[in-house]
Formats: sequence, structure tokens, C-alpha cells
Amino acid sequence: MKNPEQLIRRGVHRKGIAEGIVKTFLGGMTWAVIAVALMIFGRMIWDGAPVFFKKEAPFVNMDFLTKKTETLHVFDDAEGIRHQLPASEFHQWKSSHGTDAVFNEQTFSYCGGGIAGPIVGTVLLTLLSVMMALFFGVSAAIYLSEYAKQGRFIGWVRLAILNLAGVPSIVFGLFGFAVFVLAAPILTDTPADRSLLAIPLGFTHLSFEGWGSSLIAGAATLACMILPVIITASEESLKAVPQGFREASLALGATRWQTIRKSVLPFAMPGILTSSVLSLARAAGETAPIMFTAAVAAKDDLPWEGVGSPLGVLTGQVQALPYHIYTLALKIPTSEYTERAQFGSVFVFLLMIFLFSAASVVLRNRVRAKMKW
Amino acid sequence: MPDTSHNPVPSGHPFCRRGRSTEGLIKAFFGGNAALTIVILVLIILFLLREGVGFFPEYRTELQNFRKSGLEFVDIARKDLTAHEQMGSLLNRAYFAQVNSNCREEMQRLEEATAIVNYLGEATAPAHDALVQVTDAESNSPPTPELLQKLSAQYRKRLADALSGRLGKGFPPTPHLSRTEQQLLCDQIAARDPLSTDDPAFANELQASLAAKRELSAAPLIAFRDAIDAFQSSSSALDVLVSETSDTVKATKEAAVLHGIQVRKRQTLLDAARTAKPDLRSQLEADIAAAVTTEPVDFTAAMAPVLARIPQFKEANAAMSAGLTEVSEKLPLSLSDEKADRYLKAFRAATPAMAAETADTVGLLEGWRADVPVGIGMTISGFISGRDWITGGEWQDIYGILPLFIGSLMISIIALAIAIPFGVGAAIYTNQLAGPRQQRFVKPTIEFLQAIPSVVLGFVGIAVLGTLLQEVSTLDSLSWIPGFPIQQRLNMFTAGCLLGLMAIPTIFTLSEDAINNVPAAFAEASDALGASKLQTIFRVIVPAAISGILAAVLLGLGRVIGETMVVLLVAGNRIQIPDFTDGIGTVFQPAHTLTGIIAQELGEVPFGSVHYRALFVVGILLFVIVLAINWTAQRLLRRFRISQH
Amino acid sequence: MVSDSVQPAIPAIEIENLRFSYGTKEVIHGVSLSIPANQITAFIGPSGCGKSTLLRCLNRINDRIPGAAITGGSIRIGGIDISRPDLDLQVLRRRVGMVFQKWNPFPKSIYDNIAYGLRIHGETNRKALDEKVEHSLRVVALWDDVKDRLKTSAFGLSGGQQQRLCIARTIAAKPDIILLDEPCSALDPLSTLKVEELLLELRNDYTIVIVTHNLAQASRCSDQTALFYLGELIEYGNTSQMFQAPREKRTEDYITGAFG
Repeated sequence: MKNPEQLIRRGVHRKGIAEGIVKTFLGGMTWAVIAVALMIFGRMIWDGAPVFFKKEAPFVNMDFLTKKTETLHVFDDAEGIRHQLPASEFHQWKSSHGTDAVFNEQTFSYCGGGIAGPIVGTVLLTLLSVMMALFFGVSAAIYLSEYAKQGRFIGWVRLAILNLAGVPSIVFGLFGFAVFVLAAPILTDTPADRSLLAIPLGFTHLSFEGWGSSLIAGAATLACMILPVIITASEESLKAVPQGFREASLALGATRWQTIRKSVLPFAMPGILTSSVLSLARAAGETAPIMFTAAVAAKDDLPWEGVGSPLGVLTGQVQALPYHIYTLALKIPTSEYTERAQFGSVFVFLLMIFLFSAASVVLRNRVRAKMKW
Repeated sequence: MPDTSHNPVPSGHPFCRRGRSTEGLIKAFFGGNAALTIVILVLIILFLLREGVGFFPEYRTELQNFRKSGLEFVDIARKDLTAHEQMGSLLNRAYFAQVNSNCREEMQRLEEATAIVNYLGEATAPAHDALVQVTDAESNSPPTPELLQKLSAQYRKRLADALSGRLGKGFPPTPHLSRTEQQLLCDQIAARDPLSTDDPAFANELQASLAAKRELSAAPLIAFRDAIDAFQSSSSALDVLVSETSDTVKATKEAAVLHGIQVRKRQTLLDAARTAKPDLRSQLEADIAAAVTTEPVDFTAAMAPVLARIPQFKEANAAMSAGLTEVSEKLPLSLSDEKADRYLKAFRAATPAMAAETADTVGLLEGWRADVPVGIGMTISGFISGRDWITGGEWQDIYGILPLFIGSLMISIIALAIAIPFGVGAAIYTNQLAGPRQQRFVKPTIEFLQAIPSVVLGFVGIAVLGTLLQEVSTLDSLSWIPGFPIQQRLNMFTAGCLLGLMAIPTIFTLSEDAINNVPAAFAEASDALGASKLQTIFRVIVPAAISGILAAVLLGLGRVIGETMVVLLVAGNRIQIPDFTDGIGTVFQPAHTLTGIIAQELGEVPFGSVHYRALFVVGILLFVIVLAINWTAQRLLRRFRISQH
Repeated sequence: MVSDSVQPAIPAIEIENLRFSYGTKEVIHGVSLSIPANQITAFIGPSGCGKSTLLRCLNRINDRIPGAAITGGSIRIGGIDISRPDLDLQVLRRRVGMVFQKWNPFPKSIYDNIAYGLRIHGETNRKALDEKVEHSLRVVALWDDVKDRLKTSAFGLSGGQQQRLCIARTIAAKPDIILLDEPCSALDPLSTLKVEELLLELRNDYTIVIVTHNLAQASRCSDQTALFYLGELIEYGNTSQMFQAPREKRTEDYITGAFG
């Protein structure tokens, strides 16, 4: 070899320095993203945690979680002491102290009391939508992974799943409004004028006039939105079950359905449930699809109060945490009296979402550790 | 091989198929569920179209009415008036900036005094208001002396607290007032009757001295002032004309609309009567007879008096043109104050365009014909390229999506400008340069970002980021950045930042995937040729993963364009095409978006109205845009997978 | 073990008592040999004998594998210990080129594949690039096949052509030593023959080390042969002598197919 001394580095190591600079730069960008994320959480926790936690047992502000949303009244009494009371307590105070004792009254709508209504509404919406999506989604996934062979129909289904996954959430809102709120079929004796089609059944009519803005319409809209996620994830879980399980079962003379039920589904179930927890977080977090289909800013009763039948729960409007945060956010710039409701709601909401997400991560790791074929 | 189809297993044989129909049913059940996805997609398309397609014919009818009743005619003249007003306001701003430039000291002194008055007023407001309330003459029971005493004591206590600077943000700073002056002011307020809100004497003194100074500095500008006044009054003839003709054409339109409603009602009743039972029919027929109470509008006759005034329009137009020429001659060449001079220059720059527009108007007015039909093509192109989206007014609703589209586009560009470098940079760093421990932390953390609901990000933007950015932008050391200081707290940039943050996890995860899927053999070959780490990364690995990265960027874009809550809360919701003369600073203007407009207005519009349908058309557009982006992304991904064998 | 009679004057590579481990597992247990310049040296031996690992030590490409390290002994190229901390790894790898078992052209055009090595070492002159690309392609006898489609993807070539393209890419960077890691194991016989012919031509200008499990190939085209077994050097010497009159019993067994 000629000039072997070239192999030895002399002087400044330019390439090494360049690499160091680029590495620092890209690393800085990466950590900047994480830092910004942490700052956002930090700010929400800093302002929200004092609302949620308290010093004495049970350490959680149960009032905030279990009271209904009310208008907040802020006023001075004759001593010049400032009071902040939700509407119901305010009226009590007023009747016991007299109207003349209230000075400088200000009201802040939706800022008093707690957020029981939004929490309950979000839980109902989420559970209902995930249940619907799981039923249809897992069935569709079973078809795709256990029955389907390559074909035109499958091609269409896959195309539809792919496209559905990309539809913007506000378009789902429009769709839910046009279909579930205004055009879904109900049984009624007196079809509305705008009914698309009313079929007389003798004792009553089947009228395509929609369910109105209601829990069931919102849940159905959300279910359509998370359906592609659940199908894809379930199909993956089903495909992860080794082919041998199916062959063994079929070889023993089981039918296809028996095989699926006894030898495939039980092993795919943990994976499917994991993915459904993740879509639970997504369904709980969306606002745009429920704005016109289910959500209402203020409601005096919880969904099951003041309804005649269980069906009444489904056909009533509900409050929902994301929509509640949206209404509260519109009240910004904040005053010291709205911040409690605003940051408290955001904190509780984030807590819910992250419990769902963390649960799905933990579940996934457990399932992976357990299922080794 | 024997043909088994001619050789079926005899029934009763152990091999004979049983329960075939159940199996078939089960399969059909699952297949049906799979078909549900197609059904949903078809329903989405179908219902969007069903609600949206009716928009164009209905909007066309509205535009037809807009033209026939002469609203369009008046709008032609009104455009000049608006432009004239804007020009006048430019001149006024120049004038006042110039006048005030000499009275800065006085203004600051007055401002500081007012700040003190306001601070003390706010601090004592609760007690003051309470006192006013109980002593209110109309209140039925006179207050007890002890209550009055209590409240007065409160007032004094608050006042004392405020004077010592212990309330709110503390005593406002007063660098331009001497200590004695400040003390004087405070004493005057302290001596004031609790019920009074009169300004203290010292404040009035300051006010008077400012007025005197103003008068003094306005004296040399008297000619300028006169020129402005003359210019502003040159439009008065047109102003009167426009407002008078407006009333006429509006009445025509309202009559036409009312008549249309009545005709439609009769038609509905007629349809009902055809199928109704005999006992109801007589009632219906009575209703039908009473349904239409108005005569159909004779548009030509209604328009005649307006058209007859064209000569007057001509005169008014000429007066305005003359006013413009005149004022241009009389204006001072330049003004000593920098800001005033800028306004003056802006006026000069806009003069030719305004002159040309005014000159065109007469021709437009004379050439205007009420009976030219509005074509469906014109309606559609007007919707797509319309520069205004005006709804809820009593004049005429105009639907043009250009401002919304540009808003969505600009915000997406800002978001991508942030998300691409950070997302792709982080992906390269994490996959290629970071150690395994960093990798294990960074990847799940950035993916976790995806779980933040968009409404929370919107809340962060409106509660924290908007104010923060605005405060930062007022720093003197940053004033070189175009667009700083930011005028509006909520603007495209704030929204773009948050959407960028939303798109980062998408772009990061998919890019990292793409880079990870580049075969190790490429990197090994590059290393073996003596390439440095950076050369290998940027010349081999990234180019090999580029279609995957592009797909990631496109999917991020799809997510950004379709995002609703953040833009609804943070973008500022001003329906206007941004003023691009600000250059880069344009990004700090507020805007409205395609998604935002649907979310904001769908809840308020009557079912089936033109406005309602317009929102569905926006939805269709959004659907098509996002679908096209996702399709391209999927094709790129497929190509990427094929290129990796 | 090394016969003095075949030892040429200037050794290009000297390996001394080399030990090498993947993590805690030692796979080369003290190997010493010196590789002569401008000759073809073949490493043979059964799978897992450490011959590929040894080859990959020569340009330190093993550094890519986490935990892989030289634990004892030394490798000297041109008299310089390549483990020394101030060694310029990029220069080493440019001057000790490598061709891999599975051809691995970049997902770029044929031209850019060859030009890559030149560009990363700072060649920007368009004309010089053109010349060197053409020269390298001529050396591997690809020029006539590809001169009309230089801008098309390298993946469009056949397997044998791609492997020759990889060789061309390596020699375009002007190495002194070329390492080949079973370059023909995935090629059909005709392509193999072409590569072998090419190697014999290249021998005049380069020091070549080739790992092969094909004994016939070793005997056809190498000057020196080293036989490895379980991380140890069994025999090293002149190829014809080793195939005709092996000194070691195990060498004879391996050549006659008794094990391996």
C-alpha cells in the first residue's frame, strides 16, 4: 500500500465536528418537541391540579366531580366580602339574607358547581360508541381475516376502510347530522313533515325522520369514525393467531365457525380489547362529530334523570367534556372566576384520556409478554 | 380424476355435509358487517351530495333575485362609497397622527393621570356600586343608617388600600408626573364624595392643556384639514343616493321573497288537498284561497325610479372624482411625523386605483341590465372564486369560499413548515443518531403527543399561547421581525403552530418507520465505501426513504386540513382574504377556515336553507381535498414498499 | 505454518494473534497470517469458521455491529495498526474496499451508484466523474451493456450485473485492497465465471482477499489459500501446493469433503 500514513488522522477532525453539530442540532429539535409537549402538560397540571386535588382526605375535590354544572354567581355582601356561589346555593343565600344584601353581582355561565354532567355524558357516548364499533368492527375483521379470499368485494372493503380512516372529523359531524339526526328511521304514530319516507305498518309508521340531536345519534357518529381503527387493529390481532391453531381445530372436524369461536377469538381477544381501549381515548377526545349530533352546552339533569324509560336516555341530548371545554374556551380571556372551571375541566379530561392511553399501553405490553407462540 | 359434482356423497353418509346453511348464514353475517364500511362511505357521499347539490340552483335563484330587484345595481355604486370612506379614514389618520405628534408629552401625562383615576375607581368600584345601589332613588326602601355606614367604611378601607398600592396590579407607574402632582391627584380623589364619579380637578386641567396644545399644533395644518373635510363631503351626494335607492330595492326584494313564500305555501296546500279526506278538503281550499295575498312583483316597474336616477348617479360620481383630484393637489408633499407620512403615502399610492374605479362606475351603471339571467356556471365559479362569504345580513348573502380556502391553506402551510423539519428531523435523529436509551424514551413520548385531544390544544392556544406570543412580539428587541408587534392575539400563526404540533407525531412516526425500513445493506455498502455517518444518512438512507417520508408529510397535511377545533378556537375567525402586502407578517392576521366555518355556522342555520346547503358544499370540498391527499399518500407508500423489494 | 518459500517480499496486511468477540462470545481465537500484495488470497472453511468475520475486521466494518470488538492481537495494513484511536476510518474504508455476498447497489441510477464513492470523497468535476465512471464500468466489462442507460435504476440489471456493478463501485473509489465476501454465492455459474475472470484481471492492480466456500473457486483463482476451522487458522499457503499436497490432516479431510 502506498502512503499508508494517510490512514492516520492529522489536525482537526472536520467530519467528526460536522457530525457533532448536526447531531446536536437534530437532537435539539427532537428534545424541543418533547419540551414543548411537557410545557403544555405542565401548564395544564399547574393550573388544573389545584382544582382537582385538595389537601385533606379524600384528597380529590369530589364536589367538582359529582356536582352538576351551574351558573356561577359572584357578588359582595354588605361587609364587602366576596362570595362565589353556584346558582342553586346563590338562590338559597339570597332568600335567607334578602335581595338587598347582594351587591355587584356578576354571573359566569357554566362555571359554577362541578362537571358531573359532562363526565357522565362523555362516558356514555364513549362506551356506547365503542360497543357499537366493536360489534361491527370485530365481525368485519373476522370476515376479512377468516373467510375472505382475494376478490373484488374485499378490494372494495379495504378501499372503504382506507378512505374512511382519512375522512376529517367535521365531515363525520356533517354526515352524522344529515343521517342520524335528520334521516334515521324511527317508529312513530305521526311522521314529521320533513320525513324522507314514511312507511305505514298498520299500528304505527316507520318514518325516516332522524333521531334528533341525541346520545344515540352522537354515539353512532363516533362509532362510524372509529370503525376503521377497530377493524384494522382487530384484523391484525386475528392474523397474529398462528395458523396452526386453526388447522388443528379444523383437522379435528370442527366447522369454521366453531374453529373461530373456540380456537381463534379467545387468543385474539386481548389484542382486540387493547386496541379498543385506544379507540376509546380517540372517541372520548373528539369534539367536531358530536357538536351537532349529541352535545349540549347546559343541561340541568343527568341523562337518566327525568326520563320515562331507558330509551329516554338514548334519545336525550348530553353534555360532553370536550364540548364543555369548547364552550368554556370561548369565554377566554379568562377572569379569576372562570379559570377554576376551565383548567379543572381540562385537567380531568386529560387525566381521562391518559388513563385510557396508559391502560392500552400497559395492556399491550402484558399481552405481548404473555402470548408468545 | 373423477368429476365429483356428478358423484355426490349420498345423504346419510358420514361425509355428507350437514349444517351447511348455518355456516353460510354465519359467513353472510360477517360479510354483511364488512360491507358496512362500504355502506357508511357511500352514505357519507350520498348525504353530502343530497344536502349539497341543491345549493347551486337555489343560490342561483337568490342571485337572480339579487339582480332583478336591483340590489346588484346599488352595490356597484356602493363599492365606490366604501373605497371613498377608506381613503378618507387614511387621511384622517394621517392628520391626527401629525397633530398628536406635537402633543406627546401632554398625552402621556393625561394617560397616566387617567390610569391612576381608573385604578382607584376600579379598586373602589364594588363599594361605590353598592352605595349607588342602596341610595338609588327608585329603590323602594330607604337604606338603614348602619348599612350606609358599613358600606362607606368599606369604601374608605378599599380606597386606603388602593392608595397604598396593595390592590390589583398595584399603583400604575407615572414617569411623566411629578410626585407632588401625583399626590395632588390622589388627594383630590380621596376628598371626592363616594357617590361621585366626576374627574378630579387636576385631570381636567391636564385635559384642558392637551386641548390647547392640540389647537396650537393644528393651526399650521388648517389647509390640510379643510382639504380632508372637502374630500369627505364630496361623497355626500352619492351617500344619499345609495341609501335612498337601497331602501327602494330592498323593499322590492322583500316583496318578491314574500310572494315566493306564499306561492310555495299554496303549492304545498294544493298537494295536500289532492290526497286529503273530504272533510279536511274544504278547510284546505279555504287556506289555499287565502294563501297568496300579495301581487307578483313587477321588477321593471319597481326598478324604473332607480334607473331614472342614473343622471344623478353620474353627477354624484363626477363630484367624487373631482373631490379626489382636488384633494390630491391640496395635500402637503410630506408630513414630518413618520406615521402620518406613511398614511399619506398609502393614500397617494391608492389614488390611481380609486380614480380608475370611480371612472368605470358610470359605464357599469349604464350597462347594467336586470334581465340578463344568472347562469349556473357563473353561480359555481362565483362560489369557487368568490372573495366574500357574507351571511346572516339583511341585504344579500354571498357565498364565496376563497377566503376560507386561503385561510385553510395558509394555516396548513405554516403548520407543515413547522412540522416537517421537526418531525423528519426528530425521526432521523431518533433512528440514526440517538442511542438506544434515548430511543426508548423519545419514541413513545412523541407518539403520546398524538393522544392530546384537539380541543385541549385549542384551549392551550386560546388561553396560553396567543397571549404569550403577543407579549413576546411587543419586545423591542424583536421588532425587526415582520408583523411584530402582533395586532390580533388569535391569528393564523398561533393556529399553525398548534396544528404543527399535532402533525409532528404523525410525520415523526411514519418517517421513522420509513427510515427504519431502509435495508441495512444500503448503509453497509455506503460505510464500506468510506462514507461518513452524515454522508450515509443524507445521501443514501434519507433518499431511499424519501417516498415514505413524503407520504408521511402528506398524511400529516391531511390531518391538518381536516382539523377543526384548533382552528375554530385559535385562528381568529375573520372571514377575509388576508392582506398580503404585509409580506411574511401576513401570517399574523386572523383568518377563517373551511372546517371552522362548518363547525361555527351549522348549528345556527335553518334546516334546508341555502346557507345550510352551502355548508354541505364546503363539506364536500373538504372531503374531496382530504381524500385526494390521502390517496396520493397511499400510492407513494405502496411505491415505497415495492422499492424496498 | 506459513511456508517461507511462498512468502512474498512486501506483505499488504499482517494479522498477528488476532482475537475477536461478539459480546462475550469469542469467534476468532488468535489467528496470525500475512497477506501478500497484488495477489489473490482466498479464505476457505466450513460455515461459522470465522472467515467472514476476519475479512470484515480488515476494514473494520464489524464496528457497525454493537458489541463486536477485537479483544487481542493486531491487524496492520501498510505497517499501520488499524485499531489505533487516531485512525481515519473513512480513509481506511476507502482504501480497503469491500464487495458483499448479496449485491447491494443503492436505489439510485447506475451512474450515481458508481459516482457515489467519488462524490463523497470530494470529486465534483463533472467531466472527471464521467471519465472515472466509464473507466470503472469498462474494467468490470459492464460498459457496453449499460452505456445507453446510465441514468436508469441499478435495480433493472440482472443479479450478476448488479454484483459487477458493486465491484465497479468499489474500484471507482481507488482502493488498494479489495475484500470480497462470498461474492458469487448467489450467482449462476456463468456470472460466477465472469466475476472470476474479472478478479484475475484486477490482481495486477489490487491486493484481493476473497472469502468463499466454493473450493473449486479458491483453487481456480487464488494465489494463496487460508483454511479456517472453528475460529482457528488450520493451514495457510500457496494454493496449488495446498490443494495438491496439504500438510495438515484436517486440510486433506476438508478438501476431500470429509467434513464441512
